[in-house]
Amino acid sequence: MTAAAVQIVPRVPAKPFYFNTSAHLLRITRQKATTLQEFLEALRECPEDSIFQHTFRTLEEHHFIREGFSNDFAHWAMSACNEPSLAEGLASVDVREFTTIAELRDRFVQIVQSFLKRSPATAARSAREAFYFCASDTVVIPTTFIARTLREFVEGLRGISVHSIHHHFIEARLRLKLMSNDFSQWLHEDLGLNEAARQLNRIDIYTVTLEDVRQQIIRVAERALT
Amino acid sequence: MEPVETQTGNELSAEKIQSDFAGAAPALPERKERRRKPRSWEIPPAPVPPPRLDDYKAIVGAADIDELRFLAKELKGKTVKMVNSTAVGGGVAEMLNQLVPLLNEVEVNTHWDVITGGNDFFEVTKAFHNALQGSDYQLTQQARDIFLMHNEQNRQRIQFSEDVVVIHDPQPAALIRARQDSGRRWVWRCHIDLSNPNLAVWDFLRPFIEQYDAAIFSSQSFTRQLTVPQYLFYPCIDPLSEKNKDLEESFIQQVCDEFGIDRSRPIVTQVSRFDRAKDPVGVVEAFKQARKYVDCQLVLAGGGASDDPEGAAVLKEVKEAAAEDPNIIILDLPPWCALEINALQRASTLIVQKSIREGFGLTVTEALWKGKPTIAGAVGGIPNQIIHKLTGALVHSVEGCAYQMRYLLTHPDFAAQLGQNGREHVKENFLMTTNVRRWLLLIRILLGGGVN
Repeated sequence: MTAAAVQIVPRVPAKPFYFNTSAHLLRITRQKATTLQEFLEALRECPEDSIFQHTFRTLEEHHFIREGFSNDFAHWAMSACNEPSLAEGLASVDVREFTTIAELRDRFVQIVQSFLKRSPATAARSAREAFYFCASDTVVIPTTFIARTLREFVEGLRGISVHSIHHHFIEARLRLKLMSNDFSQWLHEDLGLNEAARQLNRIDIYTVTLEDVRQQIIRVAERALT
Repeated sequence: MEPVETQTGNELSAEKIQSDFAGAAPALPERKERRRKPRSWEIPPAPVPPPRLDDYKAIVGAADIDELRFLAKELKGKTVKMVNSTAVGGGVAEMLNQLVPLLNEVEVNTHWDVITGGNDFFEVTKAFHNALQGSDYQLTQQARDIFLMHNEQNRQRIQFSEDVVVIHDPQPAALIRARQDSGRRWVWRCHIDLSNPNLAVWDFLRPFIEQYDAAIFSSQSFTRQLTVPQYLFYPCIDPLSEKNKDLEESFIQQVCDEFGIDRSRPIVTQVSRFDRAKDPVGVVEAFKQARKYVDCQLVLAGGGASDDPEGAAVLKEVKEAAAEDPNIIILDLPPWCALEINALQRASTLIVQKSIREGFGLTVTEALWKGKPTIAGAVGGIPNQIIHKLTGALVHSVEGCAYQMRYLLTHPDFAAQLGQNGREHVKENFLMTTNVRRWLLLIRILLGGGVN
């Protein structure tokens, strides 16, 4: 028998799970890049909100696309600069490997820097269109869903918007400063469902839509119910 | 207005179209004489009441509507004033007609005022509008004086006691001089493209704009460097409007029958005014290239030829380019034909918007919302909507457009995926409910309602 099979589901979690969501307003910053060199400089200097917008947030804005879209930086490198190898490098960055925006920024800077070192002639070449660095102003708001049991948790997952899924499942690591998410934390800390918590952390957010992510989370939680 | 079809034996002259639309008594062709009553699209429809938030639940989901109500909760009782230059006609008035009731429904008390002015004022502001979008213009002292005088008259006429005042577009921009109480917030909502303005006009307006607390633009590429925070509000469509609501299949068929469109063959459609910026002649050329490889029809549905001499000239050019090809159907429709346009878009296999200059391009948004694979010029706000090969196809030439027509008509699964992604993209970013969300967020942020 596996460790997962012998888990005992507590009837009542230590504390309820409050489903929240975040609403974002797009702000246009002063940074703008028309070449890869300018892009690198702006990447170093832009506010952290910009890095958040073009990585975490853009994933939410394009949550319905299963493949071919990872972050705005990779998309621009491909569509405006026609640099597929740089685009691939930028697209391979998984936001879930980072718990701070500073680390995430460093990773992007490193990728662009090493590309320009390998291909210095591309640095000053004009892109077909400029990259405008935007940023996100965020307001966290409650939803009508509160889970006092695992069953209510599943019901909540079905009822909330994909924005709420993104808030708890993807953005959460920046709040928690952990390689985890709000759902896994609750399952682990308040219900003792460690295997379910681990399974959630293995869901691949880059090859499915956020709606698919919701369904996978529901399946894991439902299995834990039985 | 009568459809102008190039099909043999059914051709109507431009003069005939003009006189028909003007209500004169033209010599009607035999087919029309048999009709007992006018076709539905020949009569302006009665106005429909504005929708309520709950009406959108079936489209965006209850959770999204609940979120709007939660967002509005902290703003209950706050007051907002919207000010623009026209109550009817044009995209801004259309948007405000929908937005204002929805904000009031969530108890953000929103009032809408329209500035007044004489012909001299609107001539100046029209010239400013064009100059700010790049046209040549010689700014004179007289034009400045007229602009300032009418703004001053409106400042004295309108009360500004609301918590947030939103001024739309350049015409009323100088009303910022009414600002007194620092507790109130003033926002300038710019609906036009300022990326390449006439600098004399921009330098005249800029000191006013920089007195606002924030400016809002429709695309990143439409902005200027300003000292005030700039926000991005995409224009939006109303999924419940005549132009975008779901339609009965029988109505779609009826519209196609009336316009002589054969639904057994693929239909490629461009909906837009007969305007060179929309490159309708380029669309005809692209269609002719594509049709060498795949059987299809082209529908060019637009308006503007009856009240605009340039529109009439462009319509003539399009008809010449079409050269009586029976597969090209050209429709010059009156402005109230929203339902018919909706039906034409829904009947289409592909939609094209091959603009060479564009504002945001809401006809693209409409096409995407209907789940249609869409090919569009990579100009203005179109790249905000079409992510190449993900939510549609961006093109830069007639040849590129022709190739995408061929490719999408012969790869229906890929085309369907683009259409599906496009619809989701609109649902996420370009619907009226998203617009309400943005306004609520902005008001909260401006009034210090807690940014996390």
